[in-house]
Amino acid sequence: MKRGRLLAVIGVVIAIVVIAAGYFLVARPRAKGPIRIGVLAPLSPPGDYMAGKLIVRGAELAAKYVNEHGGVLGGRTIEIVVEDDSGTPEKGVAGYKRLVTEKKVVAVIGQYHSSVCLAICPIADQYGVPLIATQAAAAKITEGHYKAVFRMHAINPARAKLWLEFIKKMGWKKIAILAENTDYGIGLLEETKAMAKEMGLAIEIKDIVFDRGTKDFTPQLLDIQAWGADLVINIGVGDDAYLIIKQAYDIGLYPKVPMLASYDFPVRPEYWKNLGDKGNYMLFISYYHPMMKLTDLGKWFKAEYEKKYNEPPVYTAYNAFGAVVVVAQAIEQAGSADPAAIIKALETGTFKSWNSDAVTFPRGEGIYWHQWSPPMVIVQYTKTGQKYETAPIVFPEEMKTGEVYLPGG
Amino acid sequence: MDWLLLSQYFFAGLVIGVIYSLMAVGITFIYSIMKMINWSMGEFYMIGSYVQYALVVWLLGPKMWFLGIPLSMLVVFLLGLVVEKLLITPMFTGGIERKDEYATVITIALMVFFRNLFSYIAGPYEYSPPDYAPPMKIGTLPVSGNRFVAFVGTIIILAAFYLVVRKTWIGRAFRAVAQNRVGAQTAGVEVEKIDMLGFGVGVALAAAAGALLAPVFMVFPENGAISTMKGFEIIVIGGIGSIMGSLVGGLLLGMVESLMSVFISPSYRDVYGFLALMIILAVRPTGFFGEKERLA
Repeated sequence: MKRGRLLAVIGVVIAIVVIAAGYFLVARPRAKGPIRIGVLAPLSPPGDYMAGKLIVRGAELAAKYVNEHGGVLGGRTIEIVVEDDSGTPEKGVAGYKRLVTEKKVVAVIGQYHSSVCLAICPIADQYGVPLIATQAAAAKITEGHYKAVFRMHAINPARAKLWLEFIKKMGWKKIAILAENTDYGIGLLEETKAMAKEMGLAIEIKDIVFDRGTKDFTPQLLDIQAWGADLVINIGVGDDAYLIIKQAYDIGLYPKVPMLASYDFPVRPEYWKNLGDKGNYMLFISYYHPMMKLTDLGKWFKAEYEKKYNEPPVYTAYNAFGAVVVVAQAIEQAGSADPAAIIKALETGTFKSWNSDAVTFPRGEGIYWHQWSPPMVIVQYTKTGQKYETAPIVFPEEMKTGEVYLPGG
Repeated sequence: MDWLLLSQYFFAGLVIGVIYSLMAVGITFIYSIMKMINWSMGEFYMIGSYVQYALVVWLLGPKMWFLGIPLSMLVVFLLGLVVEKLLITPMFTGGIERKDEYATVITIALMVFFRNLFSYIAGPYEYSPPDYAPPMKIGTLPVSGNRFVAFVGTIIILAAFYLVVRKTWIGRAFRAVAQNRVGAQTAGVEVEKIDMLGFGVGVALAAAAGALLAPVFMVFPENGAISTMKGFEIIVIGGIGSIMGSLVGGLLLGMVESLMSVFISPSYRDVYGFLALMIILAVRPTGFFGEKERLA
């Protein structure tokens, strides 16, 4: 009898210990601990580390926004965990795996270099943790129809289409394209050539593909000058993009021959510091202009960013902010921080971001799979040191605020 | 073929080749005296460019940029003395058996340290000092003023370096240690002091390249990486330890890269240099001016 009572007591104690352990180990931390969102971005060379820094700034302010507005799932906070991909595919893959397996993030945002993003896409599908690309533009990213990969940035075909329509409007015939040998550069070059044919444009394209990290572009620029280009399209990223402008200016090619930058690096604060007079008259693709209307989220971000960093936010930071708040809304809509549930919510839900209150990622056709595209414009600087908000939008026609100025006539 | 265009490519290669040489001379000078490869050479280039930027922007002003070059060299020379005394000297005095490995580990560690230190101090931004000279024309050739200044500056610095090494007592001491450490020591040369000075002079040459090229290739924590790689390529082409070899190797590499990248494709720019390196090593395993080491 005594033995039986003893066994019963031991049984009850074991049961209490198991239940308590289960509660403390599983249930309690999940209920109250922060939900981690990973940021994977280039924070060191050869990646565009300035872009990475802006992505991190945007994501951190997004976490602040969500946490100050009650968190998610009944008060749980969002915590940002950052990994550096250095703009290289191998570091990107390692960083994604570390975020998912060690840091236990429920989603990963960021991605600036298409080559890195493309290397991560199959890994994201394998782990089933959603990846929202904020500024990787290669068409293949969404064309691959990866279950866990989403994008809220302009795709290369749309960019190529925009500048080909611009070229058509300007009546330019000889177009030189300097492109880095990455998925972004080569992809954009190929898209441009294919689309020019499709559109029936009678233009001649001189394409020069260079090794990323090249420091001297003078021979190629001399070649372009001798060829008599009407427009130079600069598909360099980071330091290379700046060096192309500087060196083209030095040999008298630019601004006599106009140059169009393939993305919005001229909006960054260091642009004028690096280039001075040499940066004037630059044409560039942009996805945000201060004249554009912001949502309430966008307005909150702009005010907070300016307060914290004493400079106006740029698209890279805006979009990282947008990606984190979209993930937070997806968690809320799914009622769970489970990555599979978040993917389902992203596919079916409608979300608020900085530039739209109707962001969606449907299972679209072709390149429009899990894709949300921001509007794009071509902007031109017309004065040295000009503030971005006063630079005119010169294309497309329906959004333009000024005419193209060609110093070479 | 348009001869004007060809001469432009040729001149572009010549300018970049002479500039590469400056870096290579620094590497080969340190190697010939201390028999060690300084893997952090690019970081001394980077520090030279930062010092020049700081001097021009905050102290000297854009018109006095030329004063910044010797000052940058002096700052990096002094830094080199400290680094040599604290970190490299134990290689010769501390009873270290694998000197090569010690030098490799310590200079690679320095490379990582300096890159991160400058990322921390100056941030990951690119900086560019104001132009040293406006774009100009030599005959019909359009030339970047900054490159022309770097080209002329490099020639002046290399000529001064050559004179010091050939015509002065200290230069003779450098050459003696380079030829035979023990022999020089028995003749009364204080090899430890020569090591320290040699390291300082070598890194000051890298700093000169960084300062001269600051407005051309800009200033950021990793800007020395490419120059270091080219520098090593050049010293192997020219012959390790040969200053003349560094000059010839630099010119050759500049020309090969410039011409091949136009006539074939710039995508493989680095491949051309390595192809030239392989061909030269197959024909002359010691490089153009490489000498066999004289042993006592």
